[in-house]
Amino acid sequence: MMRTVEVLLVIFLLGTAYVATSSYITLPSPSNVSPLDLNQLAYTTLQQLDSHCDLSTAAFQTNNLTAWSDLQIALSASLPPNLVYNLTVYNVNTASNGAPLYSKQTSISNSANIVSSDASSYLEASSNVTYTATPEKISANGKPITLYILDCSDTNGWWITGYTPSSLAQTVYNLLSPYFKTTIMVQNTSQLNQLLNGQSLQGEAVKNAVIINTCGEAVPMPASFSNSGAMYDYTLGEDAQLYNWTWVSIVGYPFYYVTNTVAFSGSQNSWGIYGMNCIGSAGLNAFLEGLDNQPYVYNDAWITGAPAGVVYLSSHTLSLCNYYGLYPSAYQTSTRALPTSISAQYNLTVTTYLFDTTSDGYNPGAVYRHVVTTDVDGVEVTNYQGGFFALGMARIPDIRLAALGILCDYQPTKYASLFTAEGSNRLVVLQLGTVGGG
Amino acid sequence: MAGVAIDHLISIVVLFVAVLLFIGLFSQTLSAAVNYQHNTSTAKLCGDLLDTILLTPGIPTTGTPVMFGLQDPSLIQYQLNPFSLMRLDSSSQPSISYQKTGLTYSTITTGPNNYLLYPYTDMINYSTASMLLGINGTYGFQLSLTPTLNVSVSEISTSPLSLSLSVTGTGFPLAKANVNYLLIPVALTAGYPDFETVAHQTGTVETNSVGSASITFSNFSPNINLTFAFVAYAYLDGIAGIGYYVPSPVGTQSIVPFLDPLSTQSVTLAHSDDVPNTSTNSNTLYYNTTFILESQNYALQETLLGSSNLYGSVISGAGNSPVTISMGSYVPGILVIAYHNAGNSGIVLMPWGFSSLGFSLTFGGTPLNHGWVATDLRQVQINGVSYQAQLSLWSVQGYQETG
Repeated sequence: MMRTVEVLLVIFLLGTAYVATSSYITLPSPSNVSPLDLNQLAYTTLQQLDSHCDLSTAAFQTNNLTAWSDLQIALSASLPPNLVYNLTVYNVNTASNGAPLYSKQTSISNSANIVSSDASSYLEASSNVTYTATPEKISANGKPITLYILDCSDTNGWWITGYTPSSLAQTVYNLLSPYFKTTIMVQNTSQLNQLLNGQSLQGEAVKNAVIINTCGEAVPMPASFSNSGAMYDYTLGEDAQLYNWTWVSIVGYPFYYVTNTVAFSGSQNSWGIYGMNCIGSAGLNAFLEGLDNQPYVYNDAWITGAPAGVVYLSSHTLSLCNYYGLYPSAYQTSTRALPTSISAQYNLTVTTYLFDTTSDGYNPGAVYRHVVTTDVDGVEVTNYQGGFFALGMARIPDIRLAALGILCDYQPTKYASLFTAEGSNRLVVLQLGTVGGG
Repeated sequence: MAGVAIDHLISIVVLFVAVLLFIGLFSQTLSAAVNYQHNTSTAKLCGDLLDTILLTPGIPTTGTPVMFGLQDPSLIQYQLNPFSLMRLDSSSQPSISYQKTGLTYSTITTGPNNYLLYPYTDMINYSTASMLLGINGTYGFQLSLTPTLNVSVSEISTSPLSLSLSVTGTGFPLAKANVNYLLIPVALTAGYPDFETVAHQTGTVETNSVGSASITFSNFSPNINLTFAFVAYAYLDGIAGIGYYVPSPVGTQSIVPFLDPLSTQSVTLAHSDDVPNTSTNSNTLYYNTTFILESQNYALQETLLGSSNLYGSVISGAGNSPVTISMGSYVPGILVIAYHNAGNSGIVLMPWGFSSLGFSLTFGGTPLNHGWVATDLRQVQINGVSYQAQLSLWSVQGYQETG
């Protein structure tokens, strides 16, 4: 009998353990296991309400009953019927110790009590306030560098259909000049000739500069070089190496033509654009020879390729698009991409891949730096001396790509101003809750 | 001695039964807890996956994508690319074959006068999407995109033409909404249909407290030789929807617009008698086309397509090739095709860009018989039109809620 009693005691203990375990492990209802992500739903709803600045307008006009009535209608219409909401606007001020103070301005809701809820917030800026971000000036070895934009009035462009060199120059000026201490529009080929001789135009630093050629496949050529042919491009390469310039080609086959509307007034590029002379593929090879300080050898081998399909911006570039506020299409067509083999041939290294390298060995857009190794007291020191940023895109050029490539390579910081101006911000909080079965 | 043995026997049996019983009870509790954990992780993955799909610009207009994403790369946040969406294999409606192109087309339509027909050969299917998302063999999903606003248009009278509009959201009617509208009159006289202009064919009305409005075109009365297409854009505080109305077609013959692969930016116009199989009869339909631009500031504007074959004839039967027209760009809008012959006439609308006619889309597998299904929801915009994107996600590895 004792054993039966003992067993009954064991059963009692097991039963107690089970009851205790079950009471602690109370599993939530299925709706709690997989609730709607109310936080993200609230955020996307706020975003949609503000897509045409209507939310922003209402947030700063809390006495405007019409605006708030419209907002409430739009909110009710856009949310599923089983959701209740509370939208509250707070004014953002600053306390004496610098901490933000939030004071409630107004609120709308379709429920007296919201349970099982989540919220998302949106900071609205007054249209009366302009926020600024101060860009860091791009520098080399601690010294600000110069941006030259070739906007030569005595040149023509090719593969820039629909644009003129001047219009592209204006656009790229607006995009990039905030990041440079000095930006100079090179207005004619005489000024370009000065630069090629190492003379500054306005007392700026000539060394380490970035030069953007807005003529597309054509390169502005001073009249004194008019009989040089590809040798002129070799000189450009030599100067890029000598002065540590970064030469930017915005579209197509780099250095394919030279342009000077006076010196070549009688010749055209075989497509009816006068003021041009066709150098062909020898131009790019000559530039690269000059950049690597190799002896000039005429070489008209066609080296670019057309990767199949489209080419994609690299993840590095995409991650910086938001930072710099430039949003070119993430995929483009490239028909004049440089082969990866030029790195070994001309002692180049890629410092920025604007586009991903293609599987067939082409770089549709990349910043190349020329590597120079010198012996300093028995120690081999490697430096960059000269650079080349080639965008092998098909026409028409997206000049934002050129700007983005430069910014991705130098990565200047943007110092944002503090967003704490008195009364210039409103915090909008949308709280959502579920009703019914969830 | 016998009593002790019986006591021993009974206690052993009772203990054995009790242990078996408690093992079952405890394992049930543990199993429920494991399922709970698994379902919770599925629910979290559902939200993450939905954000990945909506915030990744992935599907280009041509070629196989390297990522599965629907965001418009030229815009930010939850704004989707109307052309990427056209390449999704929405399998909720039966497919259509067309012998003259030798292709089978995925179908989205809400009636006999609107179509989005896209060739399967250029589509992204469910298995490719699963693979690109990295959930192939572990999770199944279904993505649905539904317009936030339902803008319905009905005809009140024809002499003069009077139309009634109703704008409702997912939760409520959209009262006090502005509605921009555009009427396109079409004369069906001899030869090709002719797009005409009448006074006050565009305008704006405001919906009343129940989301309704009516529009009367006092100088326009459609008849057997005069028809029309009507498009309306309703919006209020960032929430926008699109509606349209086309009178019922006359006769059995019509024009069916088949989209060619997006990269070609062209549309093949087929005679309905040739769909799916080439007709043995030769019938001619005369057509004319125009294009309605929908801008993100809710304006509607009629414009000409800058291409050849804007008007012409489509002839059924063997030896008669279908007509191809070029859309010319990736600017979203609505292609309007008016057609007629003796005894048959009508207007067909085709969205160029997924959202242009406010179509819905369901992409992916079916969650039936998969036990636990997690869902999540986001508000998105497609070329300014408000949509709700819902993702359903379930495990295909055998874990599921059984209680």
